Amino acid sequence: MRSLGISMLSVTLTTVVIANAYYQKKQFYPSVVYITKSNPSMAVIYIQAFICVWITGKLMRKIFFGQLRTTEFEHLMERSWYAITETCLAFTVFRDDFNPKFVALFTLLLFLKSFHWLAEDRVDYMERSPVISWLFHIRVLSLLLLLGFMDLYFIQHAYQSTITKGASVQLVFGFEYAILITVVANIAIKYGLHSVDLNSETPWDNKAVFLLYTELVMGLIKVILYIAFVAIMVRIYTLPLFAFRPMYYTIRNFKKAFSDVILSRRAIHNMNTLYPDATPDELRAADNVCIICREEMTTASKKLPCNHIFHTSCLRSWFQRQQTCPTCRLNILNSSTNNNDPRQDQRRRVVPPPGAAAAANPPNPFYNPYLAGANPFQIFNQPNGPQPQHPAPQANQQPPAHPNHTPNISENAAPPQAPNQTFPAFAFPPFPFLPFMAPPPMPPTNLRSLSAEELRRMEGNEMENVEARIQCLRNIQVMLDAAIVMMQQYSAAAAISSQIPIRIPSNTVQPNSSLHNATRVNPSNEANSSRQNGVLTSNTPEPLTNSDKEAYVSNLNGESSLSSTMNNEIGTESDRSSPSPEEEVRRRRLQKFLQNEQNEQQ
Amino acid sequence: MAGSALRRLMAEYKQLTLNPPEGIIAGPINEENFFEWEALITGPEGTCFEGGVFPAKLVFPSDYPLSPPKMQFTCEMFHPNIYSDGRVCISILHAPGDDPMGYETSAERWSPVQSVEKILLSVVSMLAEPNDESGANVDAAKMWRENRDEFNRIAEKIVRRTLGIPI
Repeated sequence: MRSLGISMLSVTLTTVVIANAYYQKKQFYPSVVYITKSNPSMAVIYIQAFICVWITGKLMRKIFFGQLRTTEFEHLMERSWYAITETCLAFTVFRDDFNPKFVALFTLLLFLKSFHWLAEDRVDYMERSPVISWLFHIRVLSLLLLLGFMDLYFIQHAYQSTITKGASVQLVFGFEYAILITVVANIAIKYGLHSVDLNSETPWDNKAVFLLYTELVMGLIKVILYIAFVAIMVRIYTLPLFAFRPMYYTIRNFKKAFSDVILSRRAIHNMNTLYPDATPDELRAADNVCIICREEMTTASKKLPCNHIFHTSCLRSWFQRQQTCPTCRLNILNSSTNNNDPRQDQRRRVVPPPGAAAAANPPNPFYNPYLAGANPFQIFNQPNGPQPQHPAPQANQQPPAHPNHTPNISENAAPPQAPNQTFPAFAFPPFPFLPFMAPPPMPPTNLRSLSAEELRRMEGNEMENVEARIQCLRNIQVMLDAAIVMMQQYSAAAAISSQIPIRIPSNTVQPNSSLHNATRVNPSNEANSSRQNGVLTSNTPEPLTNSDKEAYVSNLNGESSLSSTMNNEIGTESDRSSPSPEEEVRRRRLQKFLQNEQNEQQ
Repeated sequence: MAGSALRRLMAEYKQLTLNPPEGIIAGPINEENFFEWEALITGPEGTCFEGGVFPAKLVFPSDYPLSPPKMQFTCEMFHPNIYSDGRVCISILHAPGDDPMGYETSAERWSPVQSVEKILLSVVSMLAEPNDESGANVDAAKMWRENRDEFNRIAEKIVRRTLGIPI
């Protein structure tokens, strides 16, 4: 709408200017002279000329391309800006020749260049489009012919002009059009290759190679042209700054094409010499789908040292970029000499086969090998660890329901019923960490320090673990009961021999600490043996008769170092007769403590 | 035969249409151009993005699947691994060799084995579990680490906006 308005305005202005000139001069030639002498009128005429070029461009675009795609338009705009700045730079070199004709020629050059770019994009699009109509072929072919003829004509013109009139701005045009004709040739070859490919029923594997070589040859020609151009310009005029950017890009492209060709050749060489063709049996055994192009492998396919099978052509184009197996990333150049590389097996274990990889099993982008990856093996690393674990789920299968999971948030997670309710007299003693002690998996010291995840894992599904834990707790209870019985027995003995002084060994002065020592003795053995004796099953210790106490002590005698020492002490010390004051103090202290204990028990 | 990239994209489109993964819809914007796709991703359940439907655009290079596509959310997003203009920063979308954040190993980069489906599933898992080590959006990464409530609030706002529910 805006462009229409601008062109209407420009046409009106031009009409006004021409009408004015004709009204003043009445005749054709004087009017022309008047317009060319008047600067404002010339400005209007120039604007009109540009708008005419614009309209022609639109028209040609409509004829040869139809609707431009967004990317094509973006490319065109991007390149146009560079081309316009470079043209302005070129004007500075040829400011002596600056005249309307010169400007017109540069405009025409830009105009034709933009059509070359569009044609290039359009032919590249052939490979991407599912439907190529006849109209497309006609358009591309006629455009290529037209552009080719124009380029040739202008090259011819520049050549003639330079021969007859000597070096001038025509030199620049000559080179520019020479570059453009290589572009046309390149497009034509690409178009030919794409057309052949489109019309063939089977994929044409070698097309990529042909394209690569075309790119290389055209790049070489362009580089030679640019170097010659810069050399001549430096000799005759000055450094052609405006040619530097395109020259740089051309050289870069050529270098890339060159390295591509080398890589491609190496890849082809490797594939032909190092890797065997996949046999039909192998193809049947595998998924028979090339994971690169997702098509069936009926034709040439290769087996890599890691046993992954791909189309030869797919593999070749991948190897141009990277020399690794697409599936397991085995570096094929390093490992190709040694098929039994152990790393290979390792990698294969981690990476699923292509068939499985095709299933919905996305690699987690945040895969942390130190957290998630190691987990399945963690259980083997610490088989008797404090927490019974089952392999953690792979991070990507994990339901995304716990995004806030951090190891320290556990307030809201209910810990398993704390076992210390069964024996209220004692706080849960800090359990020693004994990972080498096989049968009962020890509960961790502090359940609150575990995360919800770990607790859930610990709660686990293993019945034995729970049972073992219960067993462990029972054993502790038995041991505690035994200790209490021992204390009672001891106090009874003390009461009987109240007149007899007692010497208590220093390590039993504080019964609480000696109790800890007793529980630290291997609880399973201790408890099992006392159970074997068939003495203690009741949960709460009842007041026992003296004879019962004797029986307990004798039963425990064999196992408990504590009871044996105590018995010995009692036995030996009953002979003594003279109490010393400090032993009296000890005895009282002990009695007081035992009373406290009994009170708490009840 | 058409180009290999086109055939592969058509195969993937067919696959995605026949067996769509849960919570993901993807396909070419225009069936004349298979190199630009549109995808709709639903926010994973149990996360702050739950319930949201996030539109994104995928642009494929002409040498797909040898090079990775580019993905960009077309709605407003606030996430540690999404640039403020919507571009997604996950290692699976980076070709081996280019490493914008300098921490990825080549094992998690793009390879032709990957597919649109895997990319989108990775993005879903990225929504569920942001990686605050590679901050494409540093503000979001910082907030995710230090002020989760505020992050959840912003995420919820975005979810509501994608659904057209007034905030």
